[in-house]
Amino acid sequence: MKISKKRLYLILGCVLVFYAVLAIAPAFAQDMTEAEYRPFPVVGSRTAAWIAAQLHLLFGSFILGVPMFAVIIEFIGWKTKEERYDRMAQEFIKLCMGAFSTTALLGGVLVFILIWCYPKVMSKLSGIFGPTMIFYVILFFGETFTLYLYSYGWDKMQGRHKGWHLFLGVLLNVWGTAIMFVSNSWLTYQTSPATQHGIISEMRKKSWVEEKMAADPSLTPETVMEGVTSHTMVPLHNETTGEFMATVWDAVNNFTWMPVNIHRLIGNIAFGGSIVAAYAAFRFLVAKTKEDKAHYDWMGYNGNFIALCGLIPLPFAGYWLGREIYMFNNTMGINMMGSLFSWLFIIQAVMIGVLFIGANYYLWSGMGRIDGAEIYARYRPYMIIVIIVCVAIWMTPRTLSKISTASELSAMGGANHPHLGSFGLMTAKNTAVNIIILTTFLSFLFYRRSGKTPTASWRTVGNIVISALFFFAVVSIVVIGIVGFAVPTDFRVNVLTPWQVVIAVVVMFAVTVLDALMYRRAQTSGTIKWGEMTDRSQYVLILLAITFTSLMGLMGYARSGLREQWHVFGVMPDTSPDAFTPPLSEAVNMVAIIMVIFFALVGFIFWLGLWGEKKKQTAAPPAEAEGVAQGDD
Amino acid sequence: MVVSFIAYIAGASAFPIASENLLPWSVWFLIAVIVNIVLWSSVMRLLTFSLAVIWFYAFVAGLVPESSTAVNLTELDWSDPEAVAEQGALVFNGKGQCAACHTVDTSAPPGRCPDLTDIGTNAATRVPGMDAKAYLIESMYQPANFLVPGYGKIMPEVWKAPIALSKLEIEAVIAYLQSQGGEIDPTPFDEPIDRADAGATADALPPLLTGDSELGKKVFVDAACISCHAVTGIESPAAGETTNEDFEDVTAPDLSEIAAFNDMRYLEESILVPGAQIVSGYGAVTVRAKGTTFQGTLVSQDEEKIVVRTKAADGTEEEHTILLSEIDDEPIEELTNLKARGYFTLTLTPADADAPVSGQLVSETDETVTLKVGEENQTFSKTDVKMQMTLVDYDDEETVGEHVSGTMDDFEIVLIIDRTEETYDPFDYQSGTMTRASGKRLLVTSPMPENFPIILSVADLTNLLSFLSTLTGATAEAAEETEDTPAE
Repeated sequence: MKISKKRLYLILGCVLVFYAVLAIAPAFAQDMTEAEYRPFPVVGSRTAAWIAAQLHLLFGSFILGVPMFAVIIEFIGWKTKEERYDRMAQEFIKLCMGAFSTTALLGGVLVFILIWCYPKVMSKLSGIFGPTMIFYVILFFGETFTLYLYSYGWDKMQGRHKGWHLFLGVLLNVWGTAIMFVSNSWLTYQTSPATQHGIISEMRKKSWVEEKMAADPSLTPETVMEGVTSHTMVPLHNETTGEFMATVWDAVNNFTWMPVNIHRLIGNIAFGGSIVAAYAAFRFLVAKTKEDKAHYDWMGYNGNFIALCGLIPLPFAGYWLGREIYMFNNTMGINMMGSLFSWLFIIQAVMIGVLFIGANYYLWSGMGRIDGAEIYARYRPYMIIVIIVCVAIWMTPRTLSKISTASELSAMGGANHPHLGSFGLMTAKNTAVNIIILTTFLSFLFYRRSGKTPTASWRTVGNIVISALFFFAVVSIVVIGIVGFAVPTDFRVNVLTPWQVVIAVVVMFAVTVLDALMYRRAQTSGTIKWGEMTDRSQYVLILLAITFTSLMGLMGYARSGLREQWHVFGVMPDTSPDAFTPPLSEAVNMVAIIMVIFFALVGFIFWLGLWGEKKKQTAAPPAEAEGVAQGDD
Repeated sequence: MVVSFIAYIAGASAFPIASENLLPWSVWFLIAVIVNIVLWSSVMRLLTFSLAVIWFYAFVAGLVPESSTAVNLTELDWSDPEAVAEQGALVFNGKGQCAACHTVDTSAPPGRCPDLTDIGTNAATRVPGMDAKAYLIESMYQPANFLVPGYGKIMPEVWKAPIALSKLEIEAVIAYLQSQGGEIDPTPFDEPIDRADAGATADALPPLLTGDSELGKKVFVDAACISCHAVTGIESPAAGETTNEDFEDVTAPDLSEIAAFNDMRYLEESILVPGAQIVSGYGAVTVRAKGTTFQGTLVSQDEEKIVVRTKAADGTEEEHTILLSEIDDEPIEELTNLKARGYFTLTLTPADADAPVSGQLVSETDETVTLKVGEENQTFSKTDVKMQMTLVDYDDEETVGEHVSGTMDDFEIVLIIDRTEETYDPFDYQSGTMTRASGKRLLVTSPMPENFPIILSVADLTNLLSFLSTLTGATAEAAEETEDTPAE
């Protein structure tokens, strides 16, 4: 029998894996008695758990984010009766299906690693969160079967059943969101346990009395309860053993639970959009036909648009999360922004700068495929300068004490740069961020207008009003930013900064409305030639996806690292050899490894889809050409 | 290229590319990227591009300063104190989180807590009678015992959760601090705390706030807190507009950023027991020196003098510098709770001694008192002391002597003055006070009324605390920086 090369490689691969399992197995043959920790062979427990958790989270984020916009796109397709939207939504869900089982698999791997390496921690957490874990399983079943119905029933449930299909899509999102909320409660409890103090409940009253009497046998239940009313605040953990003594809801509803929920919910949309855009970019680059290029160009544009829609509200959710961390524990907050993790936020600024520059570049590239867009090209150099300057301000560190020599510090007269140091203050950074957002919006506006000529009689006045609004917004934001240097922090944080945001948002909204009215019956001078996009622009989409993923990994390190040498902050100490927060460079290297694995897995899943598609295409004649080669966005 | 990339990122020992030679390696990597992009297929270009982006972020992160909380102290080698100090520096900048608030650099912008340049020598001057090491030990274990003027009660007890430094780590930090301008003292010490003591896990953590901060703001105004404490954004009401008139108009700390640096337990304690911790520069003090009584605010204090700010009836303020040695001795009838009552020196005559003994009050128990007499500490029984009696005649002239017998109700009183027994007729004196000792005292109290627990309901208190917790000021500024945080 002749064995093909592929099969030979497959057999060799299996043998290698089998050998590796045999080689590693003895390392697991350890003491199975009540150990507090069991080291994971070769790479160590922390590395193993870190990789599994981050990969699970990235895949989870993708499969939770994609259905959110898939169902909206499907709805748009249903209402506008444009089939291409329906097909795109279906394609998104196909990608989701491919990643779904991998997410579950990685979740299983993570649980096994945690149970194996951290039995006591898991015992404690499952002791507190047991009921929620059962709930989680029920939700998971619900999500799985709904996804199957939603995906496999797509073609069957067209026409009069479409409403029911959309309902399934919404239900899928409800399951998914609930699952995320439940699992978020476990990890947020570890960071900000509801430790602290709560109004005494009946359950806690009993344990409180027992605790106090055990500590001082001369006490009686009556003497312990002297002066204790229903409003008395007591620690929710046993002060000696750390045992949690309150209800499951007390543990779930901890300080950072809801901010993390909302932050992740929005983040999932942005991440899902960027991965879809990267997938489209990959398919665009390898596409052989014009139709394929047109379709994936259009898909990439939509994916990027969704990612941007998620990116813009993220800062507000991040602000809330940061504030709750301070509310929970000041030391933790100061550690995050002013000490251990302070430089991490400079790296974060670099990455967000890349995101905005990339997003703008992609829009400008997109204008190249629209006839009549050339008239806006003259503004680009100024917009580039504005964005670069603003990103530079955002990246400016406030204090340079850690990177300056004594002579440099002496020359500067302190740890702040005499001229640029001011840009390190939040008032400058907030101003820069708002200007970047407005500039990106302007890019989008130019993109929308490309190839169209307004016919409204008031177009001249309209353009003047729009220009005036932009001018007003920029001047106000800058003036408020300058005033921010001179006022008390409290006033700036509570009054000036929100006003900057309100001005930016209101102006963007007003301009959108005016522009939509003005271009309602616009003459189209040039259509969008989908597929005529440069390869460079597709690399930008991939750059954006990698940057989003890096940011998630990096901020995950910050969120988790804030616990420092605690499994449950302030309650359950970490006594393993890994009981410390690793330095930034080590964390970034770990994130890089995870990203390589993630993109390898994602690439494999996408390749599988592509492979299946090729088989279908060779078995059947090519389907009708995509209806997107020429058309609007 | 892929293999070398992963090996580099993983820090594989077989591929010795560490951060110190990041640049040459990066140049090599860039060349590889360019070659791959030019020569290879679109898929390989994509792969190369993706790796290059990931590498770029790793490269940037490798350039910025970083710190880790990794400390693994299992023993300290005191034969090399400098090495111990270096280990202490790691704890100071890492796990101990000291560097989050303290600077060790006079050119750096002021931190939230005192700059520790030359703390090795300065520590000996902070608290009278306390040497450098004793002061540093106390600062680590009970930081609230002494607050440097101008700084609030910010520092957590680092031996407790969440920082939870071990004794070895604290020893190393103290060695590091002593190395800042001083001599490292390797003498072992006993921890002044009981680590097994209950409460070590949850004490430092704030309460869950269930109140309504808007209602709390109203309480803050109605209960007249605003009359003394400023808060940015809240106008002080005119007299008569508040419901609580039972307070003196004094200057109290600005609370605009109070929640940024203090936990909720401290705020709760400050309302319920205002005198438990008094912010430096705001304590009320009454002190008698050279026959004059000064009543006002204690502005500052060091081992030799105090500065008291008094306010005259017409509102004019005046600062008085008073040497501690100038403070008048006061007679003490009962030798109980001397420290709590503000005494810092004591003069007493032990039952078996002829002459009185004077010294600085170091410590006391229910039965004994320890004085620093000269350079050494001496402990005396509180009961076995000779009684003194002070007789005041109708011209306010005082006669002080060792009491032998008699009271104001008897026919005669016998005192020993200058080793001679003298008999006095109580009829000639307006008063006669028996005392066990005399001493100088400096009692600092909180000017804040103590009736808030009575006038505030539990709901008011919860709402008020909730409001105070929103006063983060600078904290909010820092929190703002997270506003660009993406999903994790």
